[in-house]
Amino acid sequence: MSENRLQDTREPSNETQTSLLSRIQADVEQIRIKLVNIAEEAPRPIKPIIVAVAKLLTWTFWKPVIWAIFSVILAVITSAVIMELSGYNSSEAFIALITGALRQFDRVLFFSTPLIFTGLSVAFVFKSGLFNIGAEGQLYMGSMAAAILGYIIPLPYGVHPLVCLATGVLAGALWGFLPGLLKAYRGAHEVVTTMMLTYTAILFTQWLAAGPLKEPGEFQWNAQTARILETAELPTIWGNYLHAGFLVAIVCVIVVAFILNRTVMGYEMRAVGLNEAAAETAGINPKKNMALSLAIGGGLAGLAGASEVQGNLHRFYNLWSPGLGFDGITVAVLGSNNPFGCLLAAIFFGFLRAGGNAMHQQAHVPIEMVGVMQGLVVLFVAAPRLVQWMADQSLDYGKWFSVEKARPILFIFNMAIVLYGACFSFSLLGETQLGLAFIGISAAVSILSIAAFFLLFARNWRGIIVSLIVSMCWFALAVIGMGAGADTGFIFLVGLVQAVLSGLSLLLVKGVGQSKGGGA
Amino acid sequence: MEQEGRYAVELIGINKTFPGGIQANKDITLRIREGEVHGLLGENGAGKSTIMNILYGFLSKDSGRIIIRGEEIEPKSPQDAIDRGVGMVHQHFKLIPPLTVTENVILGLEPASKKPDRDNSLAMISASLLVLFLMYFFLPPVEFLFSAAVLLVFLTVLIRPLQGIGNSATLARFGRLLGRLGSDVLPLGFDDAAKRIQRIADENGLLVDPYAIVQDLSVGLQQRVEVIKTLYREADILILDEPTSVLTPQEVDELFVTLETFKESGKTIILITHKLREPMALCDRISVLRDGALVGTVNKDETSAEELAQMMVGRPVVFTVEKPPATPGEIVLNVNDLKVEDHRGLPKVIGVSFQVRAGEILGIAGVEGNGQTELVEALVGLRKPSGGAIFVGDIHTTGKNPRFVREAGVSHIPEDRHRRGLILPFTVEENLILGQHYKPPFISMPGILALDTFGSISGELVEKYSIKTTGVDSFANTLSGGNQQKLIVARELESSPKLLIAAQPTRGLDVGATEFIHKTLISMRDQGVAILLVSAELDEIRSVTDRILVMFDGRIVGEKMSDETDAQELGLLMAGHLDGEEQTEAIN
Repeated sequence: MSENRLQDTREPSNETQTSLLSRIQADVEQIRIKLVNIAEEAPRPIKPIIVAVAKLLTWTFWKPVIWAIFSVILAVITSAVIMELSGYNSSEAFIALITGALRQFDRVLFFSTPLIFTGLSVAFVFKSGLFNIGAEGQLYMGSMAAAILGYIIPLPYGVHPLVCLATGVLAGALWGFLPGLLKAYRGAHEVVTTMMLTYTAILFTQWLAAGPLKEPGEFQWNAQTARILETAELPTIWGNYLHAGFLVAIVCVIVVAFILNRTVMGYEMRAVGLNEAAAETAGINPKKNMALSLAIGGGLAGLAGASEVQGNLHRFYNLWSPGLGFDGITVAVLGSNNPFGCLLAAIFFGFLRAGGNAMHQQAHVPIEMVGVMQGLVVLFVAAPRLVQWMADQSLDYGKWFSVEKARPILFIFNMAIVLYGACFSFSLLGETQLGLAFIGISAAVSILSIAAFFLLFARNWRGIIVSLIVSMCWFALAVIGMGAGADTGFIFLVGLVQAVLSGLSLLLVKGVGQSKGGGA
Repeated sequence: MEQEGRYAVELIGINKTFPGGIQANKDITLRIREGEVHGLLGENGAGKSTIMNILYGFLSKDSGRIIIRGEEIEPKSPQDAIDRGVGMVHQHFKLIPPLTVTENVILGLEPASKKPDRDNSLAMISASLLVLFLMYFFLPPVEFLFSAAVLLVFLTVLIRPLQGIGNSATLARFGRLLGRLGSDVLPLGFDDAAKRIQRIADENGLLVDPYAIVQDLSVGLQQRVEVIKTLYREADILILDEPTSVLTPQEVDELFVTLETFKESGKTIILITHKLREPMALCDRISVLRDGALVGTVNKDETSAEELAQMMVGRPVVFTVEKPPATPGEIVLNVNDLKVEDHRGLPKVIGVSFQVRAGEILGIAGVEGNGQTELVEALVGLRKPSGGAIFVGDIHTTGKNPRFVREAGVSHIPEDRHRRGLILPFTVEENLILGQHYKPPFISMPGILALDTFGSISGELVEKYSIKTTGVDSFANTLSGGNQQKLIVARELESSPKLLIAAQPTRGLDVGATEFIHKTLISMRDQGVAILLVSAELDEIRSVTDRILVMFDGRIVGEKMSDETDAQELGLLMAGHLDGEEQTEAIN
């Protein structure tokens, strides 16, 4: 059919590759192609390694990584602002967090172990287009099953832990398979069913732990099962905390990656997840794959519960999990549903938790701050359009800056003072003795300042006007504060600087005329 | 100024590059005269829709100027274009099916009722009084803000008439803003709007019931609603994006009559199309785009379809498909009294029987939505038939799953290549093995994929079917439409089928890709494959197939030999006009 060769319409044009980013991309792509060419000729044992390295150089690999790092940085900045506003020393807190975590790295890995499992569970199910919100319930079922097997039957060392883990997997898988079946054959939405089955699981295990399986003893108030036998425990492998469950987790990461990328089952699941109709047309049974993937996801979450019971708790306590299953969702989001991404994300969260104690002890920042940071990271990862917008604006700013100097610099100074003003006015909200009007204007200033910041960031000249209004408000605040008998020289100064800056920018914008940069 | 005034629209030096480096418009300069019908002709991906979307404010340009009636504008949103009398009818209608015609037409500029509802006003006044009362006793800021908001709303009701007055732009903007606020809480004036729609419809010969539900209307009527929508916004520059692609030949004729009346009433019409027949029938001047650049603008009287085609494709085009006579062999597909229901349980295919023989192409013609989709889905196992039997060779495939049907030797080119044909976020190689992935040579041991063979085999296929891609590991969504379709064709033909079911295989493809697919189909036929071609394109059906069945309303209403029929006859059958002969055939 060579005579049917088409003149196709689109040719990649060289003119478009002007920006630095795309130039770097093009260079990296060149290296990758060279590597692939080398790999063709390389001897058998080295070939897969070169191919793997070549894969690491693709933009599809780096994009989520850069994304995640960017989100983490944004989250750190935001939480620093929150800490400063609440009156804590943020630099001290971060130093304490990092040194505390590094000093006890076994604790980092210990905290991350169950998160690896639950993150994998959510990510695996997501690859086939479903949401496993109920990893928490599957985890409870798995831990209960492992706890029961752990003390009911005596088995030799080496076999007993494996049997317990396997039972945990089975119990979790069953708890995942059920919503999978309901989804595939009855159309019940898996978000609802897995969520509801989570409560069922928590209450069911609570009943077991408080009733039939309650640890015998004269005054046993806690709802908990008997301690598992020593043969069933997972050995501690490093430090005081880290147990062999971590090794199982690493194996699971590799196995899940293998299933997803190298097996027919994984291929079918990804096909179903990305386009169910096309997969069905190609002869793949979407129902079977959905049910199966939820079952496997449930099994992974069950493994999390089993390994925690065998390695850490040594018995089933009522309500022992602090939401490990739900945290799995955040791990999967940060790891962009990639098994290795989940591993890194779980270790990151483990790092936060391990460091959180040190942060609490040394910088006296409440331990809840860790949760705030975790939430912010996920917020920034899950709000790609926000981050994208900010990245685009920053790039445009760079372009603007390369064209001219005066106005961008003025804008940046203006943005800085506005941002500072937003924080400062926020902190003024506590000065209740200065009267209602003072508080009200402070609140208005902080809101307007944030609005001005984003307008300026978007290079919208209205931002200057808002900033000018804010500076007037500062003057008003200074006057009101003085009337109430406070020393408001600093407030006056802030207003003056802001007024001068925004007045200058306004003059420049109007003077030069609305060109591409400043025009709205 | 006088020079510019003669043009309704001027687009000067428009450039547009999409993220990803595709340059859709390269320095295009178009001048459209007041009151003319201007054809914008080009293959798919030539940039026709892009430049019109730039004019309409849907897309932003990289550089260039847009001048509408002498006024240079920078459209930021379609509202800017609509304000200046530009209306656009999109290829895929922007209608909300469960709403009525009136509700769809007024969407975005919902008129507040002229007579404010008395009860509503009373309620609002009493609420405001109550809030004032509360404010008097409890002064804290929350109540203060709340009452201020309610007062503002109340005031806007009174101030709403302001929006018409004032020459000052600021006052007008302020009035519009207040009016906007007010109209959000006021009852809608449906009846006035419906009357106006009725009047517009009557004046322009676009008969439509303003109270009909859009999803009950035929596609042709839905298009009318779209046209009315633009007229309701007082558009006198109309952009029609591929308006005929969904219509029957008769509906196309009606549309053309409507467009003629628009032309007579002095409206400017821009007709985007990739079919040669339409601009030749209707337009005064025709601009041809190729690869994002303007090839030229010609007067209709001074050109011919051949010349236009050459401008469009860049080389001479053979219109007729060369096809040796068919040599039908044994029956490969035997469909007997097939009945299929759609997902709502409504009968869509009602007792259809036919056979396809090896080495022949059977065409199924018909306007879309007359049961072809359901028929094909039943044939390939995606939908369980409610009655009847399907045999592929000797194998009974009625109600079996898609994999069973594939194993029986059936390949399927789905009509919606994005929904059913491809997994767009998959790579080219992953798409090329889809459906064959569980069999050697794509697995090294049961259940384990052989990644090494993926690359080599798909590389061969890319070469053989000249699929234009940067590599087998690039993603399918980076391919152009024609190359995506070639990818599907390559995959489906490589499984060496006995029967190929191709549904709308050339929809939305340019001339070159269409030619390629037609040739491939015929060469498959000559190798002894039975082919069932479902298409809404009459030209395609007539030139490619050997035998044609016409489907209307779930039934086969006629069977014709391709070389013994013409477009007129088929068109009538597609619209459901049966003559005596066909009726007896349908009963048989």
